[in-house]
Amino acid sequence: MAMNDIRQMAGRSVTDLPAPSLTRHRKWWGLLFVAPAVLFFAVFAIFPIGFGVYLSFTRYDLLTPPQWIGLGNYTGLFRDRAFLVAIGNTMLFVFGATVPVWVLSLWLALRFDRCFASRNIWKSLFFSPVLPPLVVVAVIWKVLLHPNGLVTGLVGPIFGVTEIRWLTDPVLSRLVMIVVNDWTMIPFFSMIWLAGLAGVPDDLRRAGELDGASDKQIFFLITLPLLKPTAVLVAALSTINAFQAFVLQYEMTPDRGGPADANLTLGLLILKYGFQYFRMGEAAAASVLLFAVILLVTAAQLWLGRQK
Amino acid sequence: MSVFGSPLRRSAALSVVMTAVVAIVFFFPIYFMLVSAFKSEPEIISQRFSFLPLDFQGPGQFQRAAEIAPLGTYLFNSSLVAAINVGVTLLFSALAGYGFAKFTFPGRTALFLFVISTMMIPTQILVVPLFVEIKLLGWVNSYQGLIVPGMMNAFGVFMMRQYVYDIPDEIIEAARADGAGEIRIFFFIVLPLLTPALASLAIIIFIWSWGNFLWPLVAVTREELAVLATGITSYTQPYQRQPMWGAAMAVATIATLPLLVLFVFFQRYLVKGLTAAAVKG
Repeated sequence: MAMNDIRQMAGRSVTDLPAPSLTRHRKWWGLLFVAPAVLFFAVFAIFPIGFGVYLSFTRYDLLTPPQWIGLGNYTGLFRDRAFLVAIGNTMLFVFGATVPVWVLSLWLALRFDRCFASRNIWKSLFFSPVLPPLVVVAVIWKVLLHPNGLVTGLVGPIFGVTEIRWLTDPVLSRLVMIVVNDWTMIPFFSMIWLAGLAGVPDDLRRAGELDGASDKQIFFLITLPLLKPTAVLVAALSTINAFQAFVLQYEMTPDRGGPADANLTLGLLILKYGFQYFRMGEAAAASVLLFAVILLVTAAQLWLGRQK
Repeated sequence: MSVFGSPLRRSAALSVVMTAVVAIVFFFPIYFMLVSAFKSEPEIISQRFSFLPLDFQGPGQFQRAAEIAPLGTYLFNSSLVAAINVGVTLLFSALAGYGFAKFTFPGRTALFLFVISTMMIPTQILVVPLFVEIKLLGWVNSYQGLIVPGMMNAFGVFMMRQYVYDIPDEIIEAARADGAGEIRIFFFIVLPLLTPALASLAIIIFIWSWGNFLWPLVAVTREELAVLATGITSYTQPYQRQPMWGAAMAVATIATLPLLVLFVFFQRYLVKGLTAAAVKG
């Protein structure tokens, strides 16, 4: 009723006014309202992208003006051992930070999706690793993984050792970066899976149960197909995050990416080239390449999500 | 229920126990951080774990943390940056969301896509050109440089546009018919109707701003401008003279506390916020 009254009032008053002047007037207001946001993004998002592409074609050390060198930075990067090492390290990390995370986060989400006593308490505890900022996660684990620390105390006796160099061993440290990353990312992606599972009607699963389907059949034939949009989101997010990873490596490993570049990721390489060696052109070129890879992978995943 | 017999029920109980064990394993490092903030150094770097401090330090580690580095400054800067990020994002997003949802003007779709496309750009890719840009502006090592480039996020515009779209046109038209000015309508009619959405957005932006590490790392090098996320790294570097793992755990606890509080009191909002914050990258 009230809505109808308002509608009638509004209808009358709008027709009373000369329409053209109103729309012209409102046109400017619309532009005015969006202007602050549009200007902000023009200056601090779109311009830097173009500027970054320009910088990637120059030699620039922040002191003398940028000097155009064409594709020099790109060809230089592919001859650069550190860059090639960083690509390898990043690929390994991306693998470790995606496939195990997808499987375990979904499996655990399914466990927490069931109803059982005291579920909310356990769920809260399970979610808690998503709370600290990533750099804080790095600090906590740096202490836990001290050569004579608690994790050594748990694992050491099995191998009969009292000191384990978790972060300064080239093989162990790579594994540790993945484990620590997955420790915060698994609960986080379980959250997303659980949000997706909340959208899967219980009736469908129960109907499957009544028809005598096994748990496995219900999962693969009913639940999983309905979770496809969530799956695409989880796959895209985890991959994009992993390609950019640098915080754990920066804070936890010796020499920010060591030992001997064993944990030098592309994200870390951009920082080193840009802000340690002041080779802005190469840093910009590496950024452009990383962006291209991320866009390609995301596009591929979205495309796969559309199939079937 | 009894028709299922006991083996099934036993397996159900076993599954609950397993789930609980998983939850405890995931929670343990958080508990370790909290309890270590009150322990002495030899107890923290130890191969044995005591669930409560054997040598309780009281606020000792927090005091030590404040002596070693300007912890109060970090805390102030983090809070300032977060407050400005939240305030500006809320205002600009609500304004733009209103403009995009309720007005027609030339280039509306193009401008909206322009804004939304920036959601796709990872900070990692922007950091080099953005640093050169603030260097040219003379903003390196300043509050402007620390705050302004990250002041706003396109996700807010996207979110607010959805919510403004659901406000019936009639309410706005009625106010207009009553002679209310456009700015008045925005602040007194549209903004109050957006309160719940603005609250969610505030949480999202706070989480993102509080944990942001990359930009403060490159934009400022002066200690007076460091935030908690970058400041905490000064407690764990090997060149420090004395071991200060306890201080590091105290600062880690402080940095986690606001999020823990949000988690305890607004779990639903926080879960929504975290998932949305991730989507916007």
